Amino acid sequence: MKCLCCLLLAVAVSTVHARSESYSEELFVKPLATGFVYSFFQFTVVREGGSFSHSDLVPHSLGDIIDRFRVAELHIDLTSGLWRHKSWGYPAVDAPSGAEISARFHNDTQDVNKNWYGLTNALSGLLCTSLNFINSANSYESSADRFYRYSNLPRENVCTENLTPWKKLLPCDSTRGLSSLLNSGRVHNANYHSLGIHFRPLCNNTSKSSKYELRQTVSLVYDSVFISANNKNYDWSLRKMFGTGLFRTCPLADYSKIYIDTSANNSVPYVLSQNPDYFLKENIAVYNLNGIFHLSAVMPRPKVVVSDLKPILYTDRFITGFGQEYGGLVTRIYNEHRLPVIVTVIENIPWFLPIYYHTLRVTSNGVCVMPKALIYKPGKGRMQIYYLEIVLELPSHSITEISVQFDYVFLKWQEYPPDANHGFYIGSAIVKASIPRNSTSLTFDKSLIIDNLNSSDSSDSDYLIILKTENFIITLPTPDFSMPYNVICLACTVVALAFGPIHNITTKRLKLTTAKYVPGLASVVQKSYLWLENMVCYKNANKVGKATSVRVFTPEELSYHPTLGHVSEEFMKNQVACKES
Amino acid sequence: MKYFVLISLFVFTIILKAFECQANHSNNWAVLVDTSRFWFNYRHVANVLSIYRSVKRLGIPDSQIILMVADDMACNPRNPSPATVFNNADQQLNVYGDDVEVDFRGYEVTVENFVRLLTGRLPPDTPRSKQLLTDEGSNILIYLTGHGGDGFLKFQDSEEVTSQELADALEQMWQKRRYHEIFFMIDTCQASSMYEKFYSPNILAMASSLVGEDSLSHHVDPAIGVYIIDRYTFYALKFLENVKLKSRISMKSFLGVCPKQDCISTVGVRTDLFHRDPAKVPITDFFGSVRPVELTFDFLDISHMPML
Repeated sequence: MKCLCCLLLAVAVSTVHARSESYSEELFVKPLATGFVYSFFQFTVVREGGSFSHSDLVPHSLGDIIDRFRVAELHIDLTSGLWRHKSWGYPAVDAPSGAEISARFHNDTQDVNKNWYGLTNALSGLLCTSLNFINSANSYESSADRFYRYSNLPRENVCTENLTPWKKLLPCDSTRGLSSLLNSGRVHNANYHSLGIHFRPLCNNTSKSSKYELRQTVSLVYDSVFISANNKNYDWSLRKMFGTGLFRTCPLADYSKIYIDTSANNSVPYVLSQNPDYFLKENIAVYNLNGIFHLSAVMPRPKVVVSDLKPILYTDRFITGFGQEYGGLVTRIYNEHRLPVIVTVIENIPWFLPIYYHTLRVTSNGVCVMPKALIYKPGKGRMQIYYLEIVLELPSHSITEISVQFDYVFLKWQEYPPDANHGFYIGSAIVKASIPRNSTSLTFDKSLIIDNLNSSDSSDSDYLIILKTENFIITLPTPDFSMPYNVICLACTVVALAFGPIHNITTKRLKLTTAKYVPGLASVVQKSYLWLENMVCYKNANKVGKATSVRVFTPEELSYHPTLGHVSEEFMKNQVACKES
Repeated sequence: MKYFVLISLFVFTIILKAFECQANHSNNWAVLVDTSRFWFNYRHVANVLSIYRSVKRLGIPDSQIILMVADDMACNPRNPSPATVFNNADQQLNVYGDDVEVDFRGYEVTVENFVRLLTGRLPPDTPRSKQLLTDEGSNILIYLTGHGGDGFLKFQDSEEVTSQELADALEQMWQKRRYHEIFFMIDTCQASSMYEKFYSPNILAMASSLVGEDSLSHHVDPAIGVYIIDRYTFYALKFLENVKLKSRISMKSFLGVCPKQDCISTVGVRTDLFHRDPAKVPITDFFGSVRPVELTFDFLDISHMPML
């Protein structure tokens, strides 16, 4: 009872005094190479205080799930399209196509797997996704952290049904503020779109109470040629991209800001319709939002847009081989940096693609390389993925290739999806590396974009980036599912064809009897002709006499003829006589 | 004394009869299922979203609508206008809308999940949005669409639910007191074969075609390149678009929604399990959520509520 009182008191205290939440909305727009425009929305709630039993801005539906399953950190990304690192640089949040989820649970969690499956099920209901398909056969725990789980579902599609519940988690829903720009028709028409929910604890040295950050992000890439009215220029505007202007800001937000990265302006100048409130670090235009806002950018002709930001590290992934028996998987990592870079590559290959560990080869510019560290956990049919973690040092200006051979396997009949001939999606590999800060996109050391842009420790320290490779699709040997039907039809035909003669042979005996004459049409005609002839010619002097009596022989009277069987003795004698003569 | 008891019994039964004609359900649920995958079955997704749109417009909240859609048509790469599903070639009515919650999608739409949903035999981790949390006061609208035959409905071209299985699932629901009344609608070929085996009480059933008949699609949208809706649902949606929350349209007029010259197939109706006269049942008993509200003019003191 005492304990309960203490607990109640603790809860009451925590709910009363340590509850401060702040909310801010930010939009970062960056014109990319070849006429693409990247816009990154971030809606951030920072919260001090422990449990989510009461909150003003953190959505209850999500807070309850985080509390219930003892989640310390959570990242969900629902993505459609492929981020093209080579021409677009780095995104703010790198997410592979499909659904990706990772979570870290509190250190005192008893059964991490139980909480993990509970969490994914709950989130599948919250976000209308198929995250409930996550099980031990498609998720893994980190080699370093027992409380970390990761899974991706590359087949998952993203549509309004995911955007709707995502928007409902925002304090202002989609009625006011930057989220009013997110119309489903426009979001899902983008070349690349990614919805994200990122929850993490923040390091807090000042006070003892815990501090959390919930960021909801949207990444959109539009082709400005495609969205422009006449498809001829690279002009873009908020209205062209999102179909609507910005009319009201969210009153709950402490900050509502738009940033335009004008660093591409040096190579290809463009004109913004509004002067920014101020410039940050000379090339980030900042707009404080209050009330109606509209922004457009006009690019003078001729329009030649070149990429000035080539990423120093990017990847490529493909399958090799032909036929449906053996194949190979190749992951390439390009290092364009002038210094060697240490990367960690994590491959998670599903159980139905069994890899051969002895065929693992790592080459860099054609020379075999010894990995600095290697962790391999073999997969198990229907239970566990093939987990491969390799730490490598990439030489400067190099192409490093990791290749491994695998088998295509047959699945059980019931394991094939309804559209098995479409192929099976294999999720992306993960590449982690520390690269210099000045060659990354946005960083996330702090909660808000503006604080990160402002931070002074740029360019000299390294920043950990996480790259996701392409997904790929394989065609497993898929049986013809109508085959059982065909087999039944064929087997029945064969049986029927065999049954008739065999039945006849075994149940009937051939026996010579006097033939019963069945008149055919020709003989009827012939007979009637003869009869008519007889009638007409009056030649029937010998009228047909009385029927000759047919003699019926008893078996004893019959004798055996080698070809004709049982015949009468008289017939036999005649035969013998004929032969002799 | 004896006579008094008899008379009072008689009066009581008459009162009971009179009450039967009124709605006495407490909540409304809808289970809307599209069982077809692949782009050329766009029309089945348009069908199910048409009914979804109507029940949502008439007040059933998303938390009480279980929507099962077997394929993603709205954001399909073949869809020329992403995030839309239209019911008509003139593209006036986007039945997908901007606010849609699909509870079961893609590979989740299986016979097992459907029967488990109806009967409530679900794994413990199942989220609330994937549960049919009905009780004995619930009126349920069940709408199925897809490809079917005499006595079965195909799920995603790989499995099928038979009419007997469906009838048994509904009987299990009845025994578990999971419904008050059910309105069962099905738009598929030989649709009426699916309700022939029903034997549980309080079910009103309607099918787009009789046994031996095909259900036909309405028209092609050349911009999308496929048939975009089926005849029966097209006319049902046309009817439902005119229904308002307070309109007094009866179920009987809805049962005659698609005459033979419109549908080409014959719409089948089964009323023998249903104990009310469809002419006296308002359509909002199944398609809407009309809650009786009691007004009070007394003051309530909420200042002494227990603290959590």
